[in-house]
Amino acid sequence: MDIYERFKTLNSRLIRGENIPFSEGIKGLSHPSGTNRDKPLAYPAIAIYAGQGASHSWLWFVDLFDRMGLYDLCFLTDTTLKENGLRGIDVLAMSGGDTFAIAEGLGKSGAREIERFIRSGGLYMGSCAGAYLPLNSSKPFLNLFNYVPAKITNLTRSLPTALRLKEKFCTSYGCSFIFHPVRETVELKTNGFAPFGKPKTLLAPLYGGPPMILSDPAAVLARYTGFTDHTLFLVDRKLAEETVLGTAAVIRKKMGAGHFHLYGPHFEHPRFPTANHLMAAAMYWDLRRGNPPCPRTDALQGDAFLSKKSAKHFIRAVKREISNARIVAAGLEMQPVQWTIGNKVYDPGKIRVFLEAIWSRLGVLEKAPRLCIQPGQDGATMRHTASLTSLVRATKRDSDQGRNTPDLARTLFSELSHSSMLFLDIYFRTQAYHFGGIHEA
Amino acid sequence: MGIKIDGLLCTACMACELACGYHRDDAFALLSSCIVPYRGREKKNYLGVMLKEEDSLVAARPEGIEINRIGEEQDPDKEADASAKPMLLRESCDLCEDLDDGPLCIRVCPVDAISVE
Amino acid sequence: MEYLASDKIAIVDLGSGDITEEELDEDLVLEKIGGVGITQSLYDRFEGEDPIVLGSGLLTGSLVPGSALSVMTAKSPLTGKVSHVPVVLDAGIEFKYSGFDYMVIKGTAQKPVYLWVHDGIVDINDADEVWGKDVWAATDYIREFMGDDLIQVLGIGKAGESGSPLATTCINYWQGGDRLGFGTLFGQKMLKLIGLRGMGLLEIAEPEDFVEDCLALVSTIKSGPLKGKKGIAQMAVTLGGEDIEDWISPLIHRHMACFNTPIPTNSFVFLDEDPALLEESKVNEPGMLLTDIHPLITLKKMGLSAKDACQVLKECAKYGIDAAAVAELSEKAGTTALEDMVKSFPELKGPVDSAGTSIFSPWAMVGNQDRDTWERRQAVSYILGIHPLFALMTSELTEAKLLDLASLGTELELTQETLDEVVAEVSGKS
Ligand code: SF4
Ligand code: SF4
Repeated sequence: MDIYERFKTLNSRLIRGENIPFSEGIKGLSHPSGTNRDKPLAYPAIAIYAGQGASHSWLWFVDLFDRMGLYDLCFLTDTTLKENGLRGIDVLAMSGGDTFAIAEGLGKSGAREIERFIRSGGLYMGSCAGAYLPLNSSKPFLNLFNYVPAKITNLTRSLPTALRLKEKFCTSYGCSFIFHPVRETVELKTNGFAPFGKPKTLLAPLYGGPPMILSDPAAVLARYTGFTDHTLFLVDRKLAEETVLGTAAVIRKKMGAGHFHLYGPHFEHPRFPTANHLMAAAMYWDLRRGNPPCPRTDALQGDAFLSKKSAKHFIRAVKREISNARIVAAGLEMQPVQWTIGNKVYDPGKIRVFLEAIWSRLGVLEKAPRLCIQPGQDGATMRHTASLTSLVRATKRDSDQGRNTPDLARTLFSELSHSSMLFLDIYFRTQAYHFGGIHEA
Repeated sequence: MGIKIDGLLCTACMACELACGYHRDDAFALLSSCIVPYRGREKKNYLGVMLKEEDSLVAARPEGIEINRIGEEQDPDKEADASAKPMLLRESCDLCEDLDDGPLCIRVCPVDAISVE
Repeated sequence: MEYLASDKIAIVDLGSGDITEEELDEDLVLEKIGGVGITQSLYDRFEGEDPIVLGSGLLTGSLVPGSALSVMTAKSPLTGKVSHVPVVLDAGIEFKYSGFDYMVIKGTAQKPVYLWVHDGIVDINDADEVWGKDVWAATDYIREFMGDDLIQVLGIGKAGESGSPLATTCINYWQGGDRLGFGTLFGQKMLKLIGLRGMGLLEIAEPEDFVEDCLALVSTIKSGPLKGKKGIAQMAVTLGGEDIEDWISPLIHRHMACFNTPIPTNSFVFLDEDPALLEESKVNEPGMLLTDIHPLITLKKMGLSAKDACQVLKECAKYGIDAAAVAELSEKAGTTALEDMVKSFPELKGPVDSAGTSIFSPWAMVGNQDRDTWERRQAVSYILGIHPLFALMTSELTEAKLLDLASLGTELELTQETLDEVVAEVSGKS
């Protein structure tokens, strides 16, 4: 059984309300000592941020949670987060993207909501941009989120020479720049603090996440210790070593009754099982409550269902449009275009990442005995996926004619994100409903 | 060591693409191969083979090989072409390192257009 | 059916617009294997509704050398027989990966339509924008509208739209292997074209053994008598046919293979461009792909230059009329000028010898083949999905080997006895 199946089995028991202590439920880690060892585990209600500024990497969190049987998921935008979206949520997962745009989108009221959420016991899991967001800063919007007194070592006033990937190399930060010395796989070592267990070396991918310095050594769960054959150097190797190695890669910080878990590298990336394992273990360790009760999964029982005929129609309609869009996206993948949206560069390959997130889950819905939706959600999903086809076709036509149209790309990416959220919401509702056999006919 | 392709010998049979897809998926499929004969200009009969390597994209055109380092800027004066940024999210060629008999694409190419160098 | 299949049959009623789906029953595969074994039985089932049945072979789209073939089964307006035409180039495998193993197209649409088959979905679309367009323009339109240049198109031109009995179904821009007037049937059904694109995946029951066997076959074939053979002219010579190599070769740009077919059996000629050009041509339509040797042989005999002959073929492909029939009828009428031939397209009528007398398209009847051996080899190729010309040239692809591979790939016990039965059945000899 791989780690994902182990977590899935565990979660199928948790969703039924079984009482399982951390030390029994989380296998494969040398057991950390600490007060939470004997705390009963809970089946968490998780929110993934996919609003303004989020890149496609929130889908990695989706994959991670999906593979582990964590189906009590919802998706928040900057707007819905501010409108009480964190109510009933245990974990807020904030992935990569454009930190400035995220901060701007969330603004003061978003910051207040997040603070309230954590102080009342919520867990904030941030990776990459999600890790930068709560670090102390003096810059407008970012300074609304000054919760963690860590410094970053990749801030400079004079930029070093970029060896490659100029568009992904740096972001301006007032009169300074945040630069990214390396990308791709790096080596890390855990410090032996709970909840990560005994010190161990592991790999994780870095796509612009922070190398951090913190005065409290106990808050540092892992440090950057080395590079690998797969590390891509964007600056001179020596400078990369000086900037990154030895700094904090993962930190855990308490605020009120809750915690921040901040990951420089993408621990949620689907190809890094050890990092995935640690991230999930840490999440259970700092969950605000134990099982039972499980308020949101109880609420799931009240969900609406689509009739068999409507479900068939719905799946067919979504499949048709996603197939159409996917076909064009595969063609676009062969074209030399890319767009800058906010501070981030997008290339056409990313269109496929969203489409695959929907496509790969259609089969599960096709086989599900019942589809769970909120009223009107099926119609909205069908409308949005249909507009995806026209947008991606228009993008392809533009690119064929040598036109680079960032506005169209912006609309396309926002529609991709929106459609994915709508669809995945139905998917996870349906999965949660059928999971653990609690609603067997 | 890397894969070398003679774009002029290629007959666009797609055997390499299917073999590489099999190497990735343990099934027959084409979407994840890192070697792809380029068939998009059918009426002009212009074709070559593209290969995604760890840090470069190789376009084996009939008129010669072109290597684009991934992430390096293209020459702005050069006309945009199909090999500039393709397949970025596909996995790179690993020379079929898990196979004792070497790269599948080489073994399957009927005209010996692919070799290792 | 779990392996080497999408496990789906589509039944498309052009009259009502209804599309239903059925699973591909494993018992049907055990009984009929695949390809024409199954298209024939589907044809029989829907006979009263004038079906055209599209189907892939059991090994189509796999690593078995030559696995390019899908087939169409329908009643030929030229021979009056229920017959089979090959779907080659990359269209055969595109169908295999499109999410369906078989598709029955029955009834007649009230107005022109086209089918868009993609990832297990069939859409019946209004053909207003493409009806009236020639084959090339229609393919261009569909590819541009759908946003993908790799879409494979099985379609008709003006010949099929106007009811010419010599209308052929083309593949993208080129004449395919349809010598039996299936283009006429498309036109009668008001079906302009079938667009195909699939990104499916075929599971293999014993992947490692299957692939190793395929690789061993490739290596044997590569070092065998076919080593180095390429192009339409050499292929004809290999099969004992007429040698037109010297005549055609000055125009040849490159030789092109159908999917996973070790011998490139097609040749691309440049007519408005230097054939030796290596870079991409700046001319939009510099030439055409030759897929059928027969019209070339006839036109050469009539004294046409290779260039004029290829021009005729290009016009035929655009109009969607069978070039072999055009060549034959032009020869009989003594029409030798290019313009006169093109002008005569609307009036040309059968009967034509080029349609042959077999239930298999005589497109693959090249050289002096023994008729029974040829029929048998066609039947086996059309059942298993092997390129019919390649199969004729490749003795290494024995029936036993193909059956072995079919069993390895599907976990089903497919015996020589079953194959013999299916061959007898499709050949009307059971
Ligand atoms: S060597 Fe292997 S991984 Fe590389 S292109 Fe060939 S088949 Fe694909
Ligand atoms: S296998 Fe060889 S001939 Fe076929 S597409 Fe690949 S490189 Fe070209």
